[in-house]
Amino acid sequence: MDTGIGLRAPHVVEILAARPPIAWLEVHAENYMGGGAALRDLEALRLEYPLSVHGVGLSLGSADGIDGGHLHRLRALVDRLQPCLVSEHLSWSIASGVYLNHLLPLPYTDESLTLLARHVDQAQTALRRRLLIENPSSYLRFRQSPIPEAEFLAALAQRTGCGLLCDVNNVYVTAHNFGLDPGRYLMALPAAAVGEIHLAGHSVNDADGRPILIDDHGSRVADEVWTLYARARERFATTPALIEWDTNIPPLAVLLGEAATADAITHDVARRGPGVYAA
Amino acid sequence: MSTLRELQADLRAALLGGPQGPAAAAVREDGLAAEARLAIYRHHVLATLTDVLKATYPVICRLVDERFFAYAADRYIRRHPPTRPCLFEYGGPFADFLETFPPCRHLAYLPDVARLEWAMNVAEHAGDVVTLDGRALRSVETADIPRLRFIFDPSLALLASPWPIDRIWRANQPDAADGTVDLAAGGARLEVRRVVDDVVFRSLEPAPWAFRSALAAGRALEAAAAAALTLDAGFDLAGALRELLADGVLTAFTLPPEESTS
Repeated sequence: MDTGIGLRAPHVVEILAARPPIAWLEVHAENYMGGGAALRDLEALRLEYPLSVHGVGLSLGSADGIDGGHLHRLRALVDRLQPCLVSEHLSWSIASGVYLNHLLPLPYTDESLTLLARHVDQAQTALRRRLLIENPSSYLRFRQSPIPEAEFLAALAQRTGCGLLCDVNNVYVTAHNFGLDPGRYLMALPAAAVGEIHLAGHSVNDADGRPILIDDHGSRVADEVWTLYARARERFATTPALIEWDTNIPPLAVLLGEAATADAITHDVARRGPGVYAA
Repeated sequence: MSTLRELQADLRAALLGGPQGPAAAAVREDGLAAEARLAIYRHHVLATLTDVLKATYPVICRLVDERFFAYAADRYIRRHPPTRPCLFEYGGPFADFLETFPPCRHLAYLPDVARLEWAMNVAEHAGDVVTLDGRALRSVETADIPRLRFIFDPSLALLASPWPIDRIWRANQPDAADGTVDLAAGGARLEVRRVVDDVVFRSLEPAPWAFRSALAAGRALEAAAAAALTLDAGFDLAGALRELLADGVLTAFTLPPEESTS
């Protein structure tokens, strides 16, 4: 399957009118939990394009448990849209009834793993389908966090049967911010579990004289991330990939151009065989 | 070692501008101060929620200017952080907050303009419903008609203000020709709703506004008619009911037992 794009409000009218060739679309679940034009337009688009639903609000890592009301709304949306993929994040956003509107980092401990596994089971049971869990971009990690993130995800997939969403930009951002090797991270993910790839732009920010990468989805995919994507393609040859762009959203053609770049790399890796980008 | 619940409570406090110390103590510095790492998250939370409020309250933002709006939003977010992940539902009490926010007390019309913007936001995202077909009312016995109650389209809101909030709203649209409003021009009684895809509002006369407001508040037809008749002795009840049905703002009716009629 070729590379899809995240559907964003400024492009909906154009896509509805012109029906351009797009491999598939992904939407953020929480934007479609009301009524009105947004949901109706999406119901029209899903007849034409394969659709994926990407949740950002389930807060699977909340120590307080999953908000049952929100899970119910997600299930109603998934039942209505019948997407080909449903995904969420390895993160938390809700503590003591407050939603912090950020995919916040977890300490990777046995306690977290047990909790995540319980919540992923709960969500998969309610949704009656397999979830893909995405690796986050991180700007901090905890003192007490003994399990490497990729191994934590592998264990979660093994325990719950969930799939993984490998966000290549997030791998790059997190690895850069902590001085880790992104290639090793990719190698530690269980290839058979990876059911989707994300690509997006990041920004380079100065934090006390030190460059910190921020996953702001506000620019083209960085060259270093394209290189890492080629390496990811050697491991996850046929996994569907997606371009995300959420801030400073450009014309649709720019997103489709990024998707075409991803396709070219995918086909190039497939043609040349593995090992070319490994260095 | 703190448990996950304690850690998340500490982070929650730190990200909403509370004490940084407990959360910072759990963070590995890796060459950058824990507080600086927390600040990246705190900034994101505040910036994105400010953007949500700005998108819901563009007229308020224009009236007070962007910098003051960001300041008010920062205070609001700390006091009323979101409780749910659907951010189109965030910001309902902003009008009440503005009413008691000392720096804008001199802008007495501001809270009611915010109420209008919130009603428009609710209308935009309200669930889709099927309109009541007036023929369904033919089955109601004549003697029961005064006891009828109606369920309204959830996109509908009825607002009243001593300020000309409709004119203020229109004068502060990006394409408005004339940005001046006479604040002494009188108040407004408005009906806000979504018609197909468009959120619209219109001015109602006092009697029809009182009639629809009473019905929307769940009162019986007889009580709603009485409320309208006190404002206009010539209020045409049959005509008003026909208009309600023709406007497509009703979704259902109920006939509660007689004793609960009010």
